[in-house]
Amino acid sequence: MKDNISHSLFVPQQPDEVWEYLTRPDLMELWLMKNDFEPVVGRQFRFMTNPIPKFDFDGITYCTVLEVDPCKKLSYSWKSGPGDGLITVDSLVTWTLTPKDGGTELLLEHTGFKEARHFAIFSALDGGWFSNIKKIAQLLNDTPHGATNA
Amino acid sequence: MAQPMPDAFQVIADPSRRQMLHLLSKDSMTINSLAENFDMSRPAVSKHVKILYGAGFIDIQDIGRERYCTLKKDGFNQLQEWINYFDNFWGAKLKKLEFILNQKTKN
Repeated sequence: MKDNISHSLFVPQQPDEVWEYLTRPDLMELWLMKNDFEPVVGRQFRFMTNPIPKFDFDGITYCTVLEVDPCKKLSYSWKSGPGDGLITVDSLVTWTLTPKDGGTELLLEHTGFKEARHFAIFSALDGGWFSNIKKIAQLLNDTPHGATNA
Repeated sequence: MAQPMPDAFQVIADPSRRQMLHLLSKDSMTINSLAENFDMSRPAVSKHVKILYGAGFIDIQDIGRERYCTLKKDGFNQLQEWINYFDNFWGAKLKKLEFILNQKTKN
């Protein structure tokens, strides 16, 4: 199971200009989400968007600024849940800016899905599942109700 | 069960339930043999099994007098879907940022 996300992007602007788009609430809102961010370590802020009931997500992402290295690196925690203060996704977002070819390489990493990490093991278990299911199917051969939907 | 069914992340946030899934990843087991691995009451084990079943992590089949638990993919798929959602989310957001910055260059 994939348990981390990374995307990179090259833009012609200098890191200081790109940094503005990662740290100024009005500019962040243009491409990301409505927010009350401030580039100060320890600052608690929120991203606001529409709820996604399918994922038990009430539309609010609760964040705390963890690292601010101006024009180089920014990281914050990223937590969300179904509401009432219940958190079901607890993860980490990190931005890294690297000067390159007269512009900036921007790297986003969204990692540390704590619960999902425990299940990296299961990605390799497809074979295991099917052999388990086969065993059950064998046992069920003697019984009249032999449904073995995987 | 009066409380609402927990989602996939809540289900596996519990160490006992994770342990149960690990055990079941090796082989299907009866609820009795599963219970032997835990220092908790049978009703407590049954409660965890019910939660795993409800969230689609396991199937339960009655074979003879025994109830067999087997891993099931649905619960795991829900976790994967959430991660895929974020993957697509950031891909789309970064495209937007790229577009905005490219427009800026032209002006």
